[in-house]
Amino acid sequence: MRRRTRRAAPVALLGVAAMILSACSGGGSGDDPTGGDAPDTDAPVTISVGGKPTTENPEQLADFERRLDEFTADHPNITVEAEETQWEADTFQALLAGGTMPTVMQVPFTEIGALIERQQVADITDQIEGSEVLQHLNPTVMDVVTDDSDRIFGVPIAAYTMGLLYNRALFEQAGLDPDAPPQTWDEVRAAAQAIDEATDAQGFGTMTLDNTGGWILTTTSYAFGSTLQSDDGATATIDNPATTEVLEFYRSLRWEDDSMGSNFLLNYDDAVNAFASGQMGMFVQGADNYSNMVVNRGMDPQDFGVAPLPQTDDGLGTLGGGTISIVNPTATPEEIAAGLEWIEFRSFEQFTDEEVAVANAEAAAADGLAVGAPGLPVVNAELNDQYLAWIAPAINVPRENFELYLGTVEDIPLIPEPPVKAQELYASLDPVVQAVLTREDADIDQLLTDAQSTVQAALDAG
Amino acid sequence: MVALDDPPAVAHRSSPTRGRRRSPVTWLRRGGLTTLVFFLPLLLSFAYFSWWPILRSLVLSLQQTNFIVTEWVGLANFERVLADPLLMTAVWNTTYFTLLAVAIGFPVPILLAVLIAEMRRTRGFASVLAYLPVIIPPVVSVLLWKTFYRPDEAGLFNTILGWFGLGPLPWLNDPDLVIPAIVVQATWASFGTAVIIYLATLMTIRTELYEAAEIDGASILRRFWHVTLPQMRGILLIMLLLQLIGTFQVFTEPYIMTGGGPENRSMTLLLLIYRYAFVSGDYGRATALSLLLALALSLLSAIYLWATRRWSTS
Repeated sequence: MRRRTRRAAPVALLGVAAMILSACSGGGSGDDPTGGDAPDTDAPVTISVGGKPTTENPEQLADFERRLDEFTADHPNITVEAEETQWEADTFQALLAGGTMPTVMQVPFTEIGALIERQQVADITDQIEGSEVLQHLNPTVMDVVTDDSDRIFGVPIAAYTMGLLYNRALFEQAGLDPDAPPQTWDEVRAAAQAIDEATDAQGFGTMTLDNTGGWILTTTSYAFGSTLQSDDGATATIDNPATTEVLEFYRSLRWEDDSMGSNFLLNYDDAVNAFASGQMGMFVQGADNYSNMVVNRGMDPQDFGVAPLPQTDDGLGTLGGGTISIVNPTATPEEIAAGLEWIEFRSFEQFTDEEVAVANAEAAAADGLAVGAPGLPVVNAELNDQYLAWIAPAINVPRENFELYLGTVEDIPLIPEPPVKAQELYASLDPVVQAVLTREDADIDQLLTDAQSTVQAALDAG
Repeated sequence: MVALDDPPAVAHRSSPTRGRRRSPVTWLRRGGLTTLVFFLPLLLSFAYFSWWPILRSLVLSLQQTNFIVTEWVGLANFERVLADPLLMTAVWNTTYFTLLAVAIGFPVPILLAVLIAEMRRTRGFASVLAYLPVIIPPVVSVLLWKTFYRPDEAGLFNTILGWFGLGPLPWLNDPDLVIPAIVVQATWASFGTAVIIYLATLMTIRTELYEAAEIDGASILRRFWHVTLPQMRGILLIMLLLQLIGTFQVFTEPYIMTGGGPENRSMTLLLLIYRYAFVSGDYGRATALSLLLALALSLLSAIYLWATRRWSTS
């Protein structure tokens, strides 16, 4: 979760590469480090893995089971018990308490910081060093699962940056060019007004409930030039000029232009449904939402637009998000090693094995799933380009619509979430966003001052 | 719980000198073992699903746990709960909700039950109508009302207001309207049960009382005041207490409709407990607040029962 300088990443990678080389020089196979207390990777071991597709998705389930059989054939000593367990904020703790958390499961980026803080996730540093996975991972993405002491707590398997999602059809109706999305916040405001005047949809929107209001406010504050916490997580910096500016931006759109609709109690689903159904022109959201909008919620593929998050002159960058595979904190070293074998096989083999890549992509396309949706590569650019070339015939997503985003996704710096108690920080900002949108006389400075003292108290309490 | 020995009223009647001391043998002969065997499944299921969790939560409120490592922290969780600025907001919102819900939700079913009781032919049909909202699953009815309360012109209530040239009102988006709006929904969703109970009570009131009152020339209102209400007194007192306790634990409506917003104006105590536990993963603090709430409700009930003991019908 710590921000490392860009120079440190290659050095760290070199170090890891050297370690792997030295581990491999023992003459054994590449995935069998012969360290002193390394886990015995040939001993029989049983692991449970979450994320098995449900019976509602028979094709995905068949694909999963096919891959599982292949894995078992490749690793006769590892018994994998697959289950449908998915991350849910309100069931995860119960899984831990009841001892039923699978050995390997997936969690969103937004949660990993809190899990590391609460020690509810296994430290996989020692085992990952013997794995090929790490060599190929995008260092900016690895930062998310790395703590201050350079210990690693998960494997990012899918990533995205927060961007500006916009509805291309509404842009056309409002006389705007869908291939030239807004690149400044003034342009966003102008586009919102145009959409609001020319269509039945609201021009711009933002989520406000279940911590999403604070989450998006934080992301947008980065784009306006400030983080909300010091890098060491000791000091809250919520009452900063950039965040004030973001809220002033909201206020202008809400009270001067009236281009933000009339409902300001929106959770993630409310906002996503409003956007997918063409009731909302633009909002700040994860750029990986193509599948969610098109496959799950029936949006026309040609209507989905995504642009890089506009940056002011002081803009720092954007927030990243995605999915991380984690290992149960009570797992033995052998179970962790086996879990990593599974993660590598399930999520990364497609980047190194053309046959797997093509088979997976074709199966997904045949099932009507999105292939080639925009996101942030979790592997390095070289591997990712090679992968995209392999699966090119199966790509069914209009990538030409996302040229601006795809061309700049690697250039905008990725700023991590607030390092300490991020969810509590978001929770205390939800009411601030709600206040600005529901009360014309909301005192932004006072609201931020109050939120600042609340969050600082939470940080001080440790 | 059920007492296994003789009730005290009977015990007093048999004098201690003549009455045999109970021994295991007499207990067995009287079928004590059979009673116990029949009683055991109930006892065990209560113990496992109810009393044991209550005990666990007592312990949990004194601990800080991530379910991997657990440490004892004494009363720190309670201190943190009391220091949370959101606590007073939640207490106030919950109290306001309760008072409003009782002010609206208590008299409505009584009046409806009396009206339905007066019907001759359509009584059954009217009771079904009154009970219908209860049949709708709570989450469905809350979501239904969430769409009724849509803040734009297309919302059902705003459409109705529009016919009279009023509105549109922001409903759930308005910090001052949000709790009253939730109260109306909650009352609509739950009054049917109370109507049925009151109706059953009304059916047991002897008609001679009404006849006598009518002969004395009492009007409908006076008959209601002097005959109906006194006869229903016991059940009214119990229902009021149950409503107080029930509405104080309001959760589903704000959780689904508003998430506690806008600006925490619908943040209730149970919602706060939920957030401690399932958003922050802070189970110690969540159980501490739960216990404080349980304690407050027990106190409230005790005071209520003490204050109303002279009106009870026994």
